Amino acid sequence: MEKTKTILKAWPLHLTLLAVVLLCEQINTIKIPVGNASIMFLPLLYAMVIGLALYLIKPVKWINDESSKTANSFVTLGISVFIAKIAVNSGAAIMTIVRSGYVLPLVLQEFGNLGTILVALPIALLFGFKREAVGMTHSIAREPNVAYIAQRYGLDSPEGRGVITVYTVGTVIGTIFMNLLVSLLAGLNLLHPYALAMACGVGSGSMMAASSAPLLAMFAEGTTEYTMVSSLAGLSNTFSTADGILMTIFIGLPLCNWLYKVLYPVIGAGRKEKNA
Amino acid sequence: MKKRLTLDEFLEYTLIMLIIAAIALVGNWVSSKFTASFVDSIPGILILLGIALVGTTLAKVIPLKIPAIIWITVIGILLAVEGSPTAAYVTEAVGKIGLLPLATPVLAYAGVNIGKDWAEFKKISWRGILVTLCVMIGTFVGSAVIANIILYAQGIV
Repeated sequence: MEKTKTILKAWPLHLTLLAVVLLCEQINTIKIPVGNASIMFLPLLYAMVIGLALYLIKPVKWINDESSKTANSFVTLGISVFIAKIAVNSGAAIMTIVRSGYVLPLVLQEFGNLGTILVALPIALLFGFKREAVGMTHSIAREPNVAYIAQRYGLDSPEGRGVITVYTVGTVIGTIFMNLLVSLLAGLNLLHPYALAMACGVGSGSMMAASSAPLLAMFAEGTTEYTMVSSLAGLSNTFSTADGILMTIFIGLPLCNWLYKVLYPVIGAGRKEKNA
Repeated sequence: MKKRLTLDEFLEYTLIMLIIAAIALVGNWVSSKFTASFVDSIPGILILLGIALVGTTLAKVIPLKIPAIIWITVIGILLAVEGSPTAAYVTEAVGKIGLLPLATPVLAYAGVNIGKDWAEFKKISWRGILVTLCVMIGTFVGSAVIANIILYAQGIV
């Protein structure tokens, strides 16, 4: 019963985070207008920032390295209750999704995840990265991709260092960044909220929660739009979990390696080598 | 490939999900500005907890490489899809729990959790950070543009 005891012993952590959550829900959503659009700040974003601040500033002694380790399984397992709610929403929406032609865009948008290679690889080469660039830009660098690069090149290789860099930055600021990015894109009104919802699934539950939140905040809970946005985001995340690593192995990494060979002599060669 | 689930492991994830669900339940009440009935929202959170637990357990005991999120999605859909005998009750009960309040506690723990990566994060150059932001923008915008084009071509939006 060792694991259970560790969790129970961390009760001050749980009580503190309960207080943090209640405070954040009490503050509620704040909308800041930017031109015609607005950026939305949501309770889940404050909760994450306060959680991080509690660890970094250490105002209370019971939030330390040990609680940080304990918190890890709360993220990976805790998100499943949220996923369950999305699944129930999807159950209500699945017939509409299947009958009204949402399956095709849901499946094909998965290939959009390769957009990272087209956008980020040239920039990484301009910055002077060499083989690191392939590790950095072949995928969104979540756990399965890190594992694959580790197996293929080793983590002490340039490719390995690249994937770890994007993994670390993605872990620390990815959730917050996605939240703000989607909030901005939704405000710009160029892409339909349903299309944005389908893009929210990248194979990480908490990132999906943070990126779909600004879309959900545009609609009232219980409306068709709300159910559709949450279902489309949830289904795209489930798809990404299922196909993400296959996409990396069979398309993402080969495409990235090929593009590296084409682009490196043009924009990479001769630049001073940089470390990530 | 044989998977074994120990009692300790089972109790561990049950306890973790129970704590998250409990925090989310109170958070949901605060989020509704205390207008929702606290007691009425209990069955909904128990159903979600049940789905999450069954899905996670299936992923651990069934000797196939199917992640928990897929089991959870399938169970949730089956319970709520029209025509399913449980659909009316499940949709009604779960409807009393807001979606975003379920994510808030998880992200509070995520904040504490990423704290330990902070030292590594600080060592990364601004170039590494900018490339990461481009990776995220590329993935997200790539998917959204494809989805939008197809939705538009099909005349849905």
